[in-house]
Amino acid sequence: MTNNLRFSSILKLFVAASSTLVASSTLAQILDYETVTDELLQNPPSGDWLSWRGQQNSWGYSELDQINTENVNKLQLVWSWAMDDTGAGQAAPLIHNGVMFLPGPRGVIQALDAASGDLIWEYRPGITPVVEGSGAVAIGPAQLGDAAMPATAYAGVGRGVQKNIAIYGDMIYAATENASIVGIDVRTGRLAWESATADPALGYFYTAGPIVADGVLVTGITGCGRYKEDVCFITGHDPSTGEELWRTDTVARPGSPGGDSWGDLPLQFRAGSDSWVAGSYDPQTNLVYMGTSQAKPWASAVRGTDGDALYTNSTLALNPQTGEMVWYYQHLPAETHDMDEVFETILIDIGGRPSLFKMGKLGILWQLDRASGEIIKATDIGYQTIVNVNPTSGQVNYRDGMMPRIGQQIDMCPSTSGFKSWRAMSYSPQTSALYIPIALNCELATFGPTEKVLGGGGAGPVRRINYPHPASDDNLGEILVLDVPSGEVKWRYRSRAPINSATLTTAGGLMFAGDWNRNMFAFDAENGDILWQTRVTTSAQGFPISYEVDGRQYVALPAGIGGASWSGMLPRDLAPELKSPRNGNSMNVFALPQN
Amino acid sequence: MYSLCPKTKMQNIFSIRIMKIGTLLVLAVTALNFSSAQSTSSIRDGIFSDAQAARGAEAYSTSCASCHSVDLRGNSNSPSLLGLSFMFIWEGKSLGELYTKMSTEMPTDRPGILTQQTYADILAFILESNEFATGDNDLTSDISVLDEIPITSQ
Repeated sequence: MTNNLRFSSILKLFVAASSTLVASSTLAQILDYETVTDELLQNPPSGDWLSWRGQQNSWGYSELDQINTENVNKLQLVWSWAMDDTGAGQAAPLIHNGVMFLPGPRGVIQALDAASGDLIWEYRPGITPVVEGSGAVAIGPAQLGDAAMPATAYAGVGRGVQKNIAIYGDMIYAATENASIVGIDVRTGRLAWESATADPALGYFYTAGPIVADGVLVTGITGCGRYKEDVCFITGHDPSTGEELWRTDTVARPGSPGGDSWGDLPLQFRAGSDSWVAGSYDPQTNLVYMGTSQAKPWASAVRGTDGDALYTNSTLALNPQTGEMVWYYQHLPAETHDMDEVFETILIDIGGRPSLFKMGKLGILWQLDRASGEIIKATDIGYQTIVNVNPTSGQVNYRDGMMPRIGQQIDMCPSTSGFKSWRAMSYSPQTSALYIPIALNCELATFGPTEKVLGGGGAGPVRRINYPHPASDDNLGEILVLDVPSGEVKWRYRSRAPINSATLTTAGGLMFAGDWNRNMFAFDAENGDILWQTRVTTSAQGFPISYEVDGRQYVALPAGIGGASWSGMLPRDLAPELKSPRNGNSMNVFALPQN
Repeated sequence: MYSLCPKTKMQNIFSIRIMKIGTLLVLAVTALNFSSAQSTSSIRDGIFSDAQAARGAEAYSTSCASCHSVDLRGNSNSPSLLGLSFMFIWEGKSLGELYTKMSTEMPTDRPGILTQQTYADILAFILESNEFATGDNDLTSDISVLDEIPITSQ
C-alpha cells in the first residue's frame, strides 16, 4: 500500500525572527501538521512510523515493498546525519508526514525533513526556549542541585541515554535523564511542559520513552537499584498537561498483595524491577504490556531473600486509564543471575488467539495469552546453562550447582550480558518468524556483597571473566530466526562481531540489521541470504525503520557508540582484533535510485 | 669495566652490554628511590592530595558519572566504585591494575580518551571517596609505581 503524501504542500519550513529570542535566533517550524489521533496510531499510514517499533504491536515491520528482494542490491545512500556525540546512540526515530523525529543522547530531539535530511528544528533540554505563554519550566541545575548532570557530561551506558520517543496529538514526548517526562510542541520543538516523577539524587532516570495507550502516556522508569524508602514504578501521564494520572509500583510492598514474595525484607531493601524498555499496547484488550527487570542486588544470596520478588522479571498488563495491574506473568521467579526479562513485547495473534512474545537474556522465547496472561509456550533456544524450563507450564528450576553463593565462582551461559538485550527483535507476517539479535557469550562469575544501608544496594559486584560460547565457533553475533509459534529455527546468521542493532522486517521480503563492526545488511527474510550491505561511521546501533515520502521508500539505519557490554566489554574481551571508532553517532538513510 | 688492552670487537660489544645493564641498574635504583619518595607503597599513607581528588571529582562528573552514578554506586551496567562492592572486585590487586583498567577500558565506549594525569586524578577521587587518607603529594600516573601499591581495605 502506498501512502501518497503531498510532501511539498504538507511540509513547509517557516522561518521567522522571533521577538522573544536573541536577534540571531530564528524559528523554523512544521506547518500543515496532521494531528496524531488514537485512530491514526492504531491504523498508521504505511509510510509513517508512529510507534517506536512501527505500530503498537511492536512488530518492527514495515508494510512497504518498493524496496524488495529483487532490487535491494541497488540501495544507495540518500542522506546521512551526524548526531550528537555526547553519549550512547540508541535511536528509535519516528516518522510522520515526511518528517523524521530523531532522539539523541542527553535528551536532544531533532526534526528532519525525512526525504532530504534537512534540519527543521531541534530541542535541546535547558537551551531551547519553552512554548510562549505555557509557563513551562525546564528542570535543570536550579531544581536538581548536585544531582544535575553537568552540561558537558558524557552519557555512556546509563543516565543520558535516550532510546524511544512518542508522538501524539500535537506533541512529541520524551523521558529524561532527570527522571521527568517532557511534552514538546511538534511544530516548533519547544518545551510545552515538563513533569518530574522522581528524584534523580536517589538514582532514578529514564532511558526509555513513553508509549501512547488510549490517550495516556505510559512510561517506565529505571535506576531503581538503590536502597531507598520507595520502589520502582510505571506512570500514566496526561499528554496535554503532563499531569501524572496514576502510578503503579513494579515492586510488591510489604503488606500488599504479593508483598510476602520478598520475605520479610522491609520496603527500603526491595530494589530493582526497573522498566527500562518501552512497552506495547493492544486496543482490543485495552492493555499496556510492560516488562520489568531483575531484582537488585542481582544475586538472591546478596538480596537476602530467596522469595519470588514480585513483580520483578515479569510482563505486566496494565489498564492505561488507571494503571491497574490486570495480570502479571513472572518469567523468572527469584531470579538470581542478572537474567533480565524486561525487553520488548511483540503482539501476534496465533490461530485466532491473542498472544504476546518475549525473550530475555536467557534466550527463552515466551508465548503468553495477552488477554489472560496465561503461559502458552516456553521455547528454550538451547544456549543457556542456568535453568530447566518446562515448555508448557513455563516453570523454571535452577540446574544443580547454578545457585550463586557470595564469593563462589560459577560457570554460566550466558554471561550477565545475556543472549538477548534491548536490541529488539522483529516479526514478519510474511514468514511468520521472529528475527532476534543474539550475542553468544559465557562467563565465570563470582557474585559479591553490597552494603545493606539506605543509598547502598545496587546490582552488586561481580568478578567476571568472559569467554566464548562453546557452540559459537568464536562468533559473538547471531541473528536467530524462529518460526512462530513452533519455535523451530528457520535460519541463523552468525558473525564474529556482535549483532548490534534491532532488526527491521519489511513487506519487501527483507530483514535489515547491522553489526558492531560497522556493517549494515539487508537479508532475504526467507532464507538469510545477504542481498545488500554497506559500512558506516561506527557500529550499527539503535532501531532501523522504513518509511515513505512522496512515493519513495526509505530505509533508515542508525549507527552509534555506547550501548553497554555488547558493544563494549564483549568485543573488547572476545574479539579484540575488531576496532570501532570512539565517535560517529549517525542516521543513515537509503533508497533506490530515482530514474 | 674498561680494558687497558686494545679492545676486540667482542670486548666492545661486551662493554656496551655492561654499560647498558649498568644504566638499567641506575635507572632501577632511581625508580625505587622515586617510588619511595612518591609514596610509601601503602594505599593508606596519603598517596594523593585533596586538590588532586577535587580535580578528579570534576573529571568524574563529566566522564564517569552517567554510568557509575554521581554517588559512585554504579548502575546495572557499571559496578559500584564504593565500599564493600568496590573492595570485592579490587582488594588484593594493585593500584596499577586499577589504573590500567581505567586508562585502557574507560570510558567504556571511548577508552583511553582522557589524559594520564586525568586518569590519576579520577583514581585519587575514587580513593578519597573510599575514605583513604589524603596527603601532600599527587598520585602519580607512573604505572611502575602504582603496580607496587596494593589495594587493601581500611
